[in-house]
Amino acid sequence: MHLPKPVMRGLLGKRLRFHLPVAFTLSLVAAIAFKYAVTEPRKQAYADFYKQYDAVKEFNAMKEAGVFESVRPSGE
Amino acid sequence: MFRAVFRLSATGVRSLARSRPCYTAPLASRCYSHGKVESDEEFDARWITYFSKPDIDAWELRKGMNTLIGYDLVPEAKILDSALRACRRLNDVASAIRILEAVKDKAGPHKDIYPYLIQELKPTLSELGISTPEELGIDKL
Repeated sequence: MHLPKPVMRGLLGKRLRFHLPVAFTLSLVAAIAFKYAVTEPRKQAYADFYKQYDAVKEFNAMKEAGVFESVRPSGE
Repeated sequence: MFRAVFRLSATGVRSLARSRPCYTAPLASRCYSHGKVESDEEFDARWITYFSKPDIDAWELRKGMNTLIGYDLVPEAKILDSALRACRRLNDVASAIRILEAVKDKAGPHKDIYPYLIQELKPTLSELGISTPEELGIDKL
């Protein structure tokens, strides 16, 4: 059985020529997907929460709950 | 070319991969826009000459093989023949068998290269009395 001569040079180069662009593209896509699927919704959630946030109202609620040391609930 | 690429930083690799400046055979040649690029035959001849040195010493054999294995190619049968004969001159059958193992590993997923090389080296292997790793059963884990 006489085997023909296979290609023996540049095998890694050939592989990289295909896979490196794929790898960089996929990484970029993964980063972009994470940005728009996770970080942007998260930032939006925070923005929405604080858009209608009344700090004084929250403070009074906490005060009545008695969690502060410097100011006691209005009953005491 | 790719040895130089791997030494660069990540950003350097990125730009080099994107731009892909040269399409020469990725051997020890650098990506010159000027300067002669060594042909495959010249490369082979150089390495055959290296291992053909009559008084080659063990260090030079090891150095030569390690350098050769670092390239993006599987060495030609004639280079391996020269290296195996150098092992014979040095009475080093262990290195001779190791060369065969290294070459099989270099081929990676390309399973047709190693059987071809053994086919080409059969006369040399029987002349020098070198067993293949398969014959010794050391190719299995």
